[in-house]
Amino acid sequence: MEKQVLRFKVNGDEYEVFIHPKTLLAEVIRDHLGLTGTKRGCETVSCGACTVNVNGKSVKSCSVLAIQCEGMEVTTVEGLEKNGKLSPIQRSFLDHGSYQCGFCTPGMLMSATAFISEAKNPTKEQVKESIEGNICRCTGYNSIVRAIEAVTQGKYKEE
Amino acid sequence: MSFKCPACKKEWPNSKQVARHMFGTGDKAHRGWIESQGYSYIELLLAQTTEPGNKSYEVLAELIEKAQDKL
Amino acid sequence: MSHAKYSVINTHVHNIDGVAKVTGRATYTFDVNLPGMLHGKILRSPHPHAKILSIDTTRALELPGVKIVVTGKDTLGIKQGIWRRYEELCDEQVLPLEKVRYIGEPVAAVAAITEEIAEAALDLIDVEYEVLPAVYEPLEAIKKEAPTIHEGVERNVNVTRHIEWGDVDEAFEEADYIREDWFKCSGQAHMCMETRAAVSSFTPEGKLTCWASTQSAYYTQGLLAGVLGLREGDVRVLAPYVGGGFGGKFELDAAMFCSAVMSMKLFKPVKVVFSREEDFIASKRRTPMFYYVRTGIKKDGTFCARESRMFSNGGAYTGMGATALYLSGFFHSFPYKWRGYRYDGYRVYTNTLPSTSMRGFGAPQAMFCSEQQIDWICADLGLDPFEVRRKNGHTEGYEVPGQAFIASCGLEQCINEIEKWVKSKGKLPANRGIGISSCGFMSGGIFNWFDSPYSFSSAVVTINVDGTVELHVGCQDIGQGSNTTMAIIAAETLGVKVEDIRVHSGDTAHCPADLGAWGSRQTLMAGNAVKMACEDAKKQLLEFAYAEMGINIVYDLDIKDRWVHIVARPERGLKYEELVKKALRAKDGQRIMGRGYYTPHRKGMISPAYSYMMQAVDAEVDPETGKIKIHEVMTAHDCGQPINQLGLIGQLEGAASMALGYAYLEDMPMEDGKLMNPNLVDYKVIKAPEMPEAGIIEIDTYEPEGPYGAKEAGEGLTNPTAAALGNAIYSAMGIQMKELPITPERVLKALREKKEQEAQKK
Repeated sequence: MEKQVLRFKVNGDEYEVFIHPKTLLAEVIRDHLGLTGTKRGCETVSCGACTVNVNGKSVKSCSVLAIQCEGMEVTTVEGLEKNGKLSPIQRSFLDHGSYQCGFCTPGMLMSATAFISEAKNPTKEQVKESIEGNICRCTGYNSIVRAIEAVTQGKYKEE
Repeated sequence: MSFKCPACKKEWPNSKQVARHMFGTGDKAHRGWIESQGYSYIELLLAQTTEPGNKSYEVLAELIEKAQDKL
Repeated sequence: MSHAKYSVINTHVHNIDGVAKVTGRATYTFDVNLPGMLHGKILRSPHPHAKILSIDTTRALELPGVKIVVTGKDTLGIKQGIWRRYEELCDEQVLPLEKVRYIGEPVAAVAAITEEIAEAALDLIDVEYEVLPAVYEPLEAIKKEAPTIHEGVERNVNVTRHIEWGDVDEAFEEADYIREDWFKCSGQAHMCMETRAAVSSFTPEGKLTCWASTQSAYYTQGLLAGVLGLREGDVRVLAPYVGGGFGGKFELDAAMFCSAVMSMKLFKPVKVVFSREEDFIASKRRTPMFYYVRTGIKKDGTFCARESRMFSNGGAYTGMGATALYLSGFFHSFPYKWRGYRYDGYRVYTNTLPSTSMRGFGAPQAMFCSEQQIDWICADLGLDPFEVRRKNGHTEGYEVPGQAFIASCGLEQCINEIEKWVKSKGKLPANRGIGISSCGFMSGGIFNWFDSPYSFSSAVVTINVDGTVELHVGCQDIGQGSNTTMAIIAAETLGVKVEDIRVHSGDTAHCPADLGAWGSRQTLMAGNAVKMACEDAKKQLLEFAYAEMGINIVYDLDIKDRWVHIVARPERGLKYEELVKKALRAKDGQRIMGRGYYTPHRKGMISPAYSYMMQAVDAEVDPETGKIKIHEVMTAHDCGQPINQLGLIGQLEGAASMALGYAYLEDMPMEDGKLMNPNLVDYKVIKAPEMPEAGIIEIDTYEPEGPYGAKEAGEGLTNPTAAALGNAIYSAMGIQMKELPITPERVLKALREKKEQEAQKK
């Protein structure tokens, strides 16, 4: 199979990469664009560490081919802050201590970001379900849930 | 009343505790002494885990008591 | 003096690595990328026990892009182990020369210009094996006819440990009631989010730099130097951010070893990262244990004697298994006073994945047995489970005979709080129950089996002209927040703010040696070193303040919130930043530096201090499916003085999630030595929707040995949960769960058996 050109936006920037069609989105993000915030923790699309947003939707980047994102807008954890100002969910994570080793954190933040943009007055159960696909081995999830809830309850405004 | 370990001479208040110490140390000197009494160190150890009661401790404690005069 | 008012300690402080972690700036070994870096992959044994007859690497070397293939023959063949003081326990060649002892054991390693090429090369390595008979269970491995796994080790008995005090037989004579039970505790995978990973770079000066996902940069340095024939000082280990450890990452693993061996031959950086499957099958696991527990008790509830025997499945190598063997038996007596106690522990080699330390270090297994049996005894005798625990519990000033001195102990308050909490729940609906478990845990071990000549913990603090502080420590942040905890202690001691402190850790070239993040040692030991260093620096600073202020000799100065002041008249003083400038000038431009260190001396046989707790688990069982739902976990917890408030909550909730997983979700079933579920689909860790609320009731105590009275928090918290869940199920359904994990199948089986027994009685 021949390599082909992929043109897409990542964190607001236009990129053009020349890749083999079977390259995963996670591989392009990490290895071609050098954005190592997005992690990988499994080979079976199970852990969620690679979660990014594609056109605003939460996607496990190990489960999609990069070329499937032609013309789309991808947001990774690096794209959440704007000119050094952290997003509401990032600030909420800091206040609630919603991370320990931090390896699952980028994926958690991206799942949360997609959920927050769509959810209206979610219940605690709905918040928990939004991160069901993200494994965390350190925190026990509850501090993450508290952080997401605080944002959906309007306690953090965009700066 | 105190009992000495026949291998290293450390002292303990009763012979069963010397036995415990000998099982626990398990180095050449301690194993060697047990073997010299005609017993297999490993067999005694394994009997303790796999058989009810504390026969291994009792056997070893008796040997230790008998050896006190010679120490 | 407990929980005194502090400026920084036990306040809501953001984790100092937080911004890096929530913005994607935090770089892990997993992310390290160096110019010219090659990718390494490991070929693993498909057999549980086999002689290596030959390894032909010709075809692999011919694959374009492959730079090297190494086997044991390309190494010094040193048998290593973390128990360096005991040669017989250094039993592991990471790349073995003669035989393989478990499925997944490394046999060869390849470095190539891409991961794909390295992976493809593995299939081109021809290994000729002579398959040997294998044995998988300890009770089979000790039989006379069982195959010998390590030459010269009789009956595959790797290590034995014996703990005893009092006259056990006499104490049993005094008992009115004796009960004995057998239990089977499973293993568990550490399942760190970052798998084992290392990048090694050997340069022509003969120096090795190794980025490693490690819990102890110092241990990795020492172990690598030992197996590679290098001086420790010529090995630099960097632990950038570490994606979890939980007890599985302070030994020498194949990522560290193979990347280093290959880099030393190629003079190029080589990166080895375990896949998730490799991480499951080839990094050591929690020790599976078979426990026989016999307990004698008076009818008024006074404990007389306990006698336990334990077999652990050691797997193919020792690892940290010898320590787990001892600690399990030690904590199995906790937190109670026994007139007579005897523990016989045996670790047996088998041809399975080696077992080692994992958060709790043998205590979760020990408590699963002890705390459940206590509840069953209470039921047998009609005694109150709270009262019995209170009656026999450790108290301040107690000495565990010949083992440990308990200086601070909040156990009784913990029991009282949980009793209140449970009573407040009132009567529960059918099939639902609350179970309790208490325990105590160590704050670092006093043992030095690594044979380090260094202080167990050290710290260096340097004050810059603008008052900012460089704090160099050897303790390792693996997510538990030790960087933040040390910054908090430093800020409190120096009288500055956390944001004034920069913590340097995870680099053996820049940081002092520290034994690392295991055994719950860092808050107490590294914390003491940091406190000492900062007190040293503060004393030097205050010398200039005394001279500057010229106050009466009876007055003392201190620094708090960046204000240097007379303690008796705090309005009189000067700004900390001003004092620092003057002190620097007075010292001819030299910065104030303070040094601190800590090694436990004469602190009993185990630990300088012990945390205590009681936990309650509220759980519901579905009698049709056997499925368990955890409603809530509540823990009353004595860690002396909490230091890192957010960190403590995180440790409690995180420990609960891991311990719940151990109790009813995580299993490592093996068939003929092969792990059947080495992936995250089939290995079930707890997910967000299943995680219950986990509350904490803090109990005030002050531990004289700890910095500001602090003790451990985070590992002890994994101890009680499996037992508490078992007790909840017993309370709800009347079934006794003697095997972990408590799966729906096991619940249904127990319910069936109970029904049959009741039918027979009629």
